[in-house]
Amino acid sequence: MVDSKKNEFKKRDLFYLAPLWLLSLIAPDPYLYHKKEFKKRDLYYLGAICLAPLIWSDSHFHHLMVLAGIYAILALGLSLFMGYAGQISLGHAAFFGIGAYTTAILTTRYAFPTFLAFWASALSAAVIAYFIGRPILKLKGYFLALATLGFGEIFLVILRESTDLTGGVIGIFGIPWFSVMGFVFDTYLKQYYLTWGVLIGLFIFSKNLVRSKVGRTLLAVAASEDAASSVGINVPRIKLEIFVLGAAFAGLAGSLFACIMSTANPEAFSLGFTVFIVMMVILGGLGNLYGPVAGAILLTWLIDILSRYQEYSLPIYGVILILLLIFFPDGIGTRLNVRVIYLIGYWAKKKKRDEGKL
Amino acid sequence: MSLLSIEEITKEYDGIRALDRISLKVEKGSIKGLIGPNGAGKSTLFHLISGVEKPDSGKIYFKGREITSMESHEISALGMGRTFQTLQIWGNMTVVENIMAGMNRRLKGGLFSCGLWLPWIRRSEKEALMEAKEILNSLGLLGKWESMASQLPYGKQKLLELGRALAMKPELLLLDEPASGLTLTEMQQLSEQISQIRQEGVTAFVVEHHMGMVMEIADEIAVLHHGKLIAEGTPEAVRRDPQVIEAYLKGKRANA
Repeated sequence: MVDSKKNEFKKRDLFYLAPLWLLSLIAPDPYLYHKKEFKKRDLYYLGAICLAPLIWSDSHFHHLMVLAGIYAILALGLSLFMGYAGQISLGHAAFFGIGAYTTAILTTRYAFPTFLAFWASALSAAVIAYFIGRPILKLKGYFLALATLGFGEIFLVILRESTDLTGGVIGIFGIPWFSVMGFVFDTYLKQYYLTWGVLIGLFIFSKNLVRSKVGRTLLAVAASEDAASSVGINVPRIKLEIFVLGAAFAGLAGSLFACIMSTANPEAFSLGFTVFIVMMVILGGLGNLYGPVAGAILLTWLIDILSRYQEYSLPIYGVILILLLIFFPDGIGTRLNVRVIYLIGYWAKKKKRDEGKL
Repeated sequence: MSLLSIEEITKEYDGIRALDRISLKVEKGSIKGLIGPNGAGKSTLFHLISGVEKPDSGKIYFKGREITSMESHEISALGMGRTFQTLQIWGNMTVVENIMAGMNRRLKGGLFSCGLWLPWIRRSEKEALMEAKEILNSLGLLGKWESMASQLPYGKQKLLELGRALAMKPELLLLDEPASGLTLTEMQQLSEQISQIRQEGVTAFVVEHHMGMVMEIADEIAVLHHGKLIAEGTPEAVRRDPQVIEAYLKGKRANA
């Protein structure tokens, strides 16, 4: 009974598209990336984010959007590193994991208040990123990708093997709800406002970075490191700074994730998850901060919908990703691929042309 | 004291001596030209000065400080701007952002103050924008300040690269073949630009293939041939130097 109900396609699914569509509207035109100031439209989207869970007061929707918000925080940090500084990291899930485990260990073993553990998670992820990043960031391109990948795998092994600290494969249970000064975030709705509040704060922070000196420095490093150092930019240092910042974002996201799921186990932070986040950044569009948020919502929603089709879900998922990358090479929410528009126009006119009307 | 002085620089690549005990001085407020046939070691010398590569022996002083073993960004931060032989503008930014990024070293602000958009960041961003527009105005690029740098024509991109180096407010400007690939009118504009820079008190060190332009703008010219300094002096003296004539003619004959 329950299963058959699950397999039906519901009209509700279409509503999930609405916030995505809203977000996709603010994603800038690829040729207008440089318009980096906040605009009136940003306020509309803020309103949409605040009202969305009240309009669709469905706990499944709330839960999905909570997850999407957490993934968006992760993708945002990675987007600064990948989309702006032009580097590659395949170890981002590890920092997410470090954040989650820091919160898990501090709250369950040492009875830390979650609010303190939240900041401690960002700090621990940042500190580890600093010591990892210093040697690793000397590498470029594929080598950097491989090194970060290796770091992610090592982190997983440590999680699984150090059973005393992390609970091994089973993980840690019973992490308390997030709470600030006695206010407990115990429903999906409250958690929605918590995660999206954190996301909005970090988004504004990132956007300020991008439109200031730091953003120009990052883009300069991405385009030409020689030219960047010729104007006095300390290339290794800015790379390290942004890597550490991305890790701190991931640490915050991990802490929220641990509190909301109330468990932390190694499977959640595997390579597959890293690829999932990288996919969000790429689908959303590199060099654009709205993209990762839209990408996070899209992928979270897509995976939820497809999970109903069980064994077909992965192939369908793959096909949809490929189609999206063909139609929106600069990221969803940007313009359709010009060539695709041209082809559609060509096909549309073909029939008329054949009939001799054109 | 000269602004830049190079003492007995030697650089070898796999046993081939690209530069052989070169000593040069660039005086403050002057424009020095560096010419020589292909493969003479001009670009190598520039790489050594700007810190991209390190010399095997010898010392380089800038403003009286030894910079031989410094990183290239440290050298730039001391006040040495440069342009590149192969154009290196940042095509992923707008024209005005290219100039503002060039001002990087003069702008304050770290990760947190920028992220929190503190009042002084807001102020300095505004001032930087105004100043960048002034620089663009003097280069004649103000009309395109909002377009992406990659969309400019080649000649304008060359000018933009010069503007970016000027935005640093450098004391010494290294120009690596500024005229390569430019049309005659663009070259004319560039020479005017360089003499204007000089009036503002910037010292320039120019590597150039285009003899006419160097002869026109430089106060003093040094000639490199096979990694050796074969002549140094005023443009007229260098033009008449038999060794220089021979080096260039030989090069021409070999090419023909």
